[in-house]
Amino acid sequence: MFYIILYLAKIANFFISILNLGAGYTWPGHIALALYPNILSHKKLDFPLGVVLISGTNGKTTTSKLLTHILESTDVKVTHNKTGANLLNGLVSATLLDMSLLGSHNSQIGVFEVDENNLPLILERINPNVLVLLNLSRDQLDRYGEVDLILEKWSSSVETLEASTEIVLDKTQPYFKKLIENFKGEITYFDEEPSYLNKTSLIGKFNAKNVNAAVYTSMLLGIDEVDIENSLENFEYAYGRGEQVSYRDKDYRILLAKNPASFENNLEVINDSEVSADTLLFVFNDNIPDGRDVSWIYDISPEALSGACKGKNIYVCGTRYMDMAVRLKYAGVDIKEENVFASLESTVAAITANEESLSVLAFPNYSAMLQLRKILTGKAIL
Amino acid sequence: MKLTIGYFYPELLNLYGDDGNVQILASRARSRGIEVEVINITPKTELTEEMMHSIDLVFMGGGPDSSQHGMYEDLLHKKGPLLSKFIEDEGVGLFICGSYQLLGNYYKAANGKVLDGVGVFDVHTVSFGTKKPRCIGNVVCEIMPELRHDETFNSVNKLGDTLVGFENHGGRTYLGKNILPFAKVLMGHGNNSEDGYEGMLYKNSIGTYLHGPILARNPHLADYLIAKSLNLESLEELDDSLINSAHTASKKLKQ
Repeated sequence: MFYIILYLAKIANFFISILNLGAGYTWPGHIALALYPNILSHKKLDFPLGVVLISGTNGKTTTSKLLTHILESTDVKVTHNKTGANLLNGLVSATLLDMSLLGSHNSQIGVFEVDENNLPLILERINPNVLVLLNLSRDQLDRYGEVDLILEKWSSSVETLEASTEIVLDKTQPYFKKLIENFKGEITYFDEEPSYLNKTSLIGKFNAKNVNAAVYTSMLLGIDEVDIENSLENFEYAYGRGEQVSYRDKDYRILLAKNPASFENNLEVINDSEVSADTLLFVFNDNIPDGRDVSWIYDISPEALSGACKGKNIYVCGTRYMDMAVRLKYAGVDIKEENVFASLESTVAAITANEESLSVLAFPNYSAMLQLRKILTGKAIL
Repeated sequence: MKLTIGYFYPELLNLYGDDGNVQILASRARSRGIEVEVINITPKTELTEEMMHSIDLVFMGGGPDSSQHGMYEDLLHKKGPLLSKFIEDEGVGLFICGSYQLLGNYYKAANGKVLDGVGVFDVHTVSFGTKKPRCIGNVVCEIMPELRHDETFNSVNKLGDTLVGFENHGGRTYLGKNILPFAKVLMGHGNNSEDGYEGMLYKNSIGTYLHGPILARNPHLADYLIAKSLNLESLEELDDSLINSAHTASKKLKQ
């Protein structure tokens, strides 16, 4: 049965790649789970060096990408769900597709970012070597529910973990205290100390935590500190998370802003003068991956918004562009109605035509970030 | 002129961007040259009758269960009686989601446990737990004629009779016999997904499930609250073209 599923997954993947179905990354996992719901607990799928799971509201993609980068720079072979397919089906896909036809792993270790709501489901099936828990804050309440509910579910799963699992945890989050009350294994804490961050090209205080989490996790996995430090300087941003793109003579930097915390993290980068720009672009959608409730934009500090927007050209677009424009207006931002569009294409064209716009900081939420990347780089994800 | 807003439990009851309502009220009042003071009332505040007299408009949002633990006893035993008097004396108030429920007679949890409410609004709320799905989605509704025909509302209303917002609640709220609903649901669940009504009106107070926040895309309601609480016959008109377009666009959203 195991081999049948493995081959079906491989065949599905083959067709997805020849038909160029970009979003089909989770299909092999779907098929496998339909036939064998518990496949992720199958012994044959164990990686030789185990698995690292990284979860939290913000920072999963950057942290898992950096950890993968550090490990690979010391010649460890890593499987990583780098396209962000971070639900159970994405993990099953990534794990199965790493297997040879003879049923052994090509990689030594799995590094997976995990959707915060899916984490309990995944912890029922695998005991990770290291579990990195970054943070929890308001995100897509219409889909995920209140933060307390997720925290409660996390607590119950953390309790059931074997003592061999190590947890890497944000020291500065008081709500994590209760989470680890009944945890049997070792805990390593990280904070926002910037010395490792300063060795990378990443910006933003929030990234200090992501960098420290990845560095401490690689230390737990036995990587030498000198090798870690050497690998930090040539790390590149994860897609849409600070990524820089040049398009029609304008320099864009894309800062995914998908919930109040990530929005404020990114605004802080401007308000602390870590980056400068003459133009800000807000792209705001309410598609399924974004959450359909747009009320959260009023949880963003109005002072941070008006501070960041001051003296800059402001463009607004996306499926809920009017809601974002109204929010900015109420925060005291001077919105010019001719710079407010439904269409992202028209907005990018308007920026291209504006001689005063040379450097653009873009704040898209999730589906908006994929659309913006598609226009600027020609591809949605990688 | 000055507008004093009594903002109850701002830290604990601000789950769905409801804080935006206070930002919007303040912004719209200031645009008319009205001075604004926001008094934050927390469980630590020693609230007095005198303080309540200085408040023109009460706002209270909704919060997660854990936050409600932090203010429930304080509301029921300390702030509740003062708030009830304010409402009974025709004070103007806007109560969203959790606070709308808490000011009712009781909340019956899915396990049958009954939680007393302040009891100033003759409504009660029942949670069916996992037996019934949460009421989630975009909402469009029509303001009840009783409010629409109110003189103050009529004089500030430049938009129309509809309200738009987003709802996300597990509890179903049922109105007592002598209490008016706030609006008639055109799209969405409203109070209980059964009777077709949204929220409630009692004297000059409004209870509602609408987030968005509710005042973001309903400037007529924001202006009504400002005018009513300051006893103004009219308000200077603002340039609301963008906001009105946002309201109109919201009517076409899918539930």
